[in-house]
Amino acid sequence: MTAFAYSNSPYPIRQDLPEAYRHAWNKLANAGNWWTGGARVAIAEEVRNATTCDFCSQRKAALSPFAPLEGAHTSSTGLAANVIDVVHRLTTDPARLTKTWLEEVTSNDLSTGQYVEIISIVVTTLCIDSFHQALGFDLEPLPAPVDGDPSRLTPSGLDADTAWVPMIEKLGEDEADLWSQGRTGNVIRAMSLVPDAVRLLKTLSDAQYVAMEDVPNPEASGGRAISRAQIEFIAARVSAINDCFY
Amino acid sequence: MLLSLNSEMNGKDINLQAITEGSDVDSGVAHGQLLSRLVELTLDNTDNSDDSIATVRNQIVDAMSAEALVDASAIIGNFQRMVRIADGTGIPLDKPVAILSAGLRKKLGFNKFGSANLTPKVSAMTHWIATKLRPFIIKKMTAKPSQSS
Repeated sequence: MTAFAYSNSPYPIRQDLPEAYRHAWNKLANAGNWWTGGARVAIAEEVRNATTCDFCSQRKAALSPFAPLEGAHTSSTGLAANVIDVVHRLTTDPARLTKTWLEEVTSNDLSTGQYVEIISIVVTTLCIDSFHQALGFDLEPLPAPVDGDPSRLTPSGLDADTAWVPMIEKLGEDEADLWSQGRTGNVIRAMSLVPDAVRLLKTLSDAQYVAMEDVPNPEASGGRAISRAQIEFIAARVSAINDCFY
Repeated sequence: MLLSLNSEMNGKDINLQAITEGSDVDSGVAHGQLLSRLVELTLDNTDNSDDSIATVRNQIVDAMSAEALVDASAIIGNFQRMVRIADGTGIPLDKPVAILSAGLRKKLGFNKFGSANLTPKVSAMTHWIATKLRPFIIKKMTAKPSQSS
């Protein structure tokens, strides 16, 4: 059966949306830069577990997200406990993450590249699931993992000082397609330690928001059925509810 | 900030407090309260509000269109992604955005968010200069990128 068919949808779904989602599911199922397809799908599964995780709810209600708490995450995968915790925190309480926490997380057996790829998988799953939830659709079943080894690619031209994670400052030949005219917003560069994460972000953003090139123009609405003012109002409201400064 | 610039460019008065205060406040954005309610109910997975969200969906379809509901839902998904990238990687605001949005962020109380300290404070002098240069900056932002041959 074709994923994201939307054959029973009461609403007309633009064709570029299921195309982007199918592309994302295909990427999710295959090995990435740092994780196998099996691990990537398991991470996506944990994103869904996190949304109903009592332990996450208790921690979200706690004064500090780092206070000792009895209990364990609702989990259904064989991922390592530290990976499950990272996935659940990114999903349910991202606004209270800190640089100190990340340094601790990446000081042991989780590399910064693996961490950035986890973010990519979390946000890919969530952005599609949220679309379904907003429209009242069942969540799309996760794809079956595809065998293969991670590329372990680390791009060149990294800047390690701007954010908590290194990101590309100067595009090399292999990453020349990531953004045009040699510059882009920090929120795009943030994922560039894993170049494929930027490519996937662009594909999804072009379909869900407006084309990257149009983002800085406050009047461009990409031919959507809602105005740019409505688009940015929704965006700001999502950010505010998530306590996101950016 | 793009909402603020959009309203400025179109000469429309937007009540930006609706961003933080929610669907009870009229933003001045067309159908803003309905759209805000859709966001609130989609993100609130602790609320068994299936009936409520179904009602809001129907209201959006009636007041706007089914296509508008789909596009609004896609924007919700998109920004569920962007906020986590920003918060998970500890990026600061891009410098021009930080300068242009300093007053707005203060007004809306965004500086209370934990990630606010990742962006250097904008000095009073820079803020003053940015206010004077604002029309030129907006013009530059809205200019189409030059086509390379």
